[in-house]
Amino acid sequence: MTDASTTAPVPAAADAAPAGSSASLRVEGLVRRYSRDSVVGPISFEVNEGEFFSLLGPSGCGKSTTLRSIAGFERPDEGTITLAGNRIDQKPPFKRDVGLVFQNHALFSHLTVAQNIAFGLTLRKVPKAQIEQRVEGMLTLVGLSGYGARMPSQISGGQQQRVALARSLILEPPLLLLDEPLSSLDLKLRVQMREELRGLQRGLRKTTIFVTHDQTEALVLSDRIAVLSEGRIEQIGTPKEIYNSPSSCFVADFIGSSNLLQAEVVAESGGRVELLTSGGLRLVADAPQRPKLRNVTALIRPERIVLLTAESAARLPASSSSFAAHVVNVSYQGEDTHVRVAAGNSESLLIALKSGSAGSEVIDGENVHARIDAQHIRILER
Amino acid sequence: MPASMRSTSASSSAEAESPRTVPGKPWMWLAAPYFLLLLAFLAIPLANLGLISLYTRSASAIWSTDLTLQNYRQVFDGYYFYLILRTLRIGAVTTVCCVVLGYPLAYFLARCSQRALSIGLFLLVMPLMVSTVIRAFGWMVILGKKGVINTMSQALGFGPVINIMYTETAVVIGLIQIVLPLMVMPLMAALEKVPLYLEEASANLGARPLETFRKVLLPLSLPGLFSGILLCFTVSVSVVVTPALLGGRNARMIGNEIYDQVIASLNWPMASSLSMVLIALTFVIVAGGQRVGKRFRREPLR
Repeated sequence: MTDASTTAPVPAAADAAPAGSSASLRVEGLVRRYSRDSVVGPISFEVNEGEFFSLLGPSGCGKSTTLRSIAGFERPDEGTITLAGNRIDQKPPFKRDVGLVFQNHALFSHLTVAQNIAFGLTLRKVPKAQIEQRVEGMLTLVGLSGYGARMPSQISGGQQQRVALARSLILEPPLLLLDEPLSSLDLKLRVQMREELRGLQRGLRKTTIFVTHDQTEALVLSDRIAVLSEGRIEQIGTPKEIYNSPSSCFVADFIGSSNLLQAEVVAESGGRVELLTSGGLRLVADAPQRPKLRNVTALIRPERIVLLTAESAARLPASSSSFAAHVVNVSYQGEDTHVRVAAGNSESLLIALKSGSAGSEVIDGENVHARIDAQHIRILER
Repeated sequence: MPASMRSTSASSSAEAESPRTVPGKPWMWLAAPYFLLLLAFLAIPLANLGLISLYTRSASAIWSTDLTLQNYRQVFDGYYFYLILRTLRIGAVTTVCCVVLGYPLAYFLARCSQRALSIGLFLLVMPLMVSTVIRAFGWMVILGKKGVINTMSQALGFGPVINIMYTETAVVIGLIQIVLPLMVMPLMAALEKVPLYLEEASANLGARPLETFRKVLLPLSLPGLFSGILLCFTVSVSVVVTPALLGGRNARMIGNEIYDQVIASLNWPMASSLSMVLIALTFVIVAGGQRVGKRFRREPLR
């Protein structure tokens, strides 16, 4: 692993980056109009040197358009793209020096694994002996030494993926783009490749943009995530920020599972507000900033709700944050048990419990108590 | 045995497709009528042709059954041999022109929108619906000494600019029009199987458009290119009407000679041996081409 990265000369990355700026890639005001109603952007973001940055969103949100614009396969109508201080948005794709790993690997089936990896170097007229040495280094790096002479059709999907990655990495691009590279693999392989990818990226400190619709992949892999919806960025932040403090209902709903309750602010005092949900549930929530509107949405993560059986609730002191509930459905999911309860007049809440933990043994139709602490309710204003 | 062979071939390819052959081959019988037809109307007459080619010419009875190799000896010297060379030359030049003209067209058709494709295919196939005789006459009107091109340039004060009627060039032009669709169709089918993202991957790795063509598109479309070349060439070398009308006496091809031997000279043994040589040459070239083509038979990954 270290072998390849030290012996291979580093052409562009080292001398191209301007001193003092840590932003490797800057996308500013990117707009792509497909038709009157289908517009992507304006999108602006910066990716720092060595950062693993994800573009996350449902299909049609503009993440692929953004990625393809950076690679040069899509012509943006507006905006600039700057890589290491140089504008690249007017350059043809073959002059951009941006490595792109395709969703379906895009290996050249008429070339061997080694020839695929060497493709870019042969174009650059690198001496043959050096190419062989660097290809060998790359094969070792991605754990495929000995596979150089095989044809792409003779290796597995995961191996093809690694060849595609090696083919891009060997050119030492200052920026690596990954277009849903794991989505064509089956679940087990996907998890394994995810970890390998993470290790590889950490080891090489390669600035990477990763496009995915899979929130788990984004959370696990990224230093920062940009959540996109309908052609716009909803929120940019670290995985923790995105999960714990989503800025909008869309982000809250898209990342993880959530209870989103429509509520009205009925009282406020000392950084806390009292909410009355549309389903008739009274909740007390922390509100660091005073909500501007009376009508808000309360976000409660399912794993933050504590479930108490009727007997144990009776033993605890009554508090403003607990309420009676009625178990509607219990679904065992292996590691977790999901319990859906009805509370208030017509509120329905999803509760995620570790299987075997207190409360996870409830049965359908049981009367229980639920408790939500004030700091676990997040107030969203849109 | 067959079962184990199938399983190894399946495991060697990453995504195992369903086997290409049906065990027991019950469907084979569906091809039987066609095979019978081929036997009755191709194989048996062909054998007869081979036999006649060994007979001796007779002024009174067309042939006598004395076996001789004299006809074949004649094929390989002098005038007939020159005709064969010319025929192969015209076939080769036509084929090369079709590759050069057909590749960009096939690429365009493989990459264009559905709508452009249906219009393009119509334009490509439409000439096939017109008889070759009429098409040859069309070219005579355009290329002739007093044809459209020359009269127009004369009207503009340039004088006659072309004098290619009754030359090999005129035959090649006429043939290109006839066989171009035979090049474009298989090539288009092969290029359609090369996904656009392979071209993008190539560009992303730093290949200019021409390098992408040479290193990705061309090798992956070779099977279609070979089919096109074989079709173009075999059809080109066996035409009669086009050289008769556009080539006149200067660009006669084997087909014309066979026709004359049968109809005018009543020398059926000579016509038969010329036919056998033409068939043999075509067969050798097709078989050779397929052997070379097989080496490149590699389809893009899906």
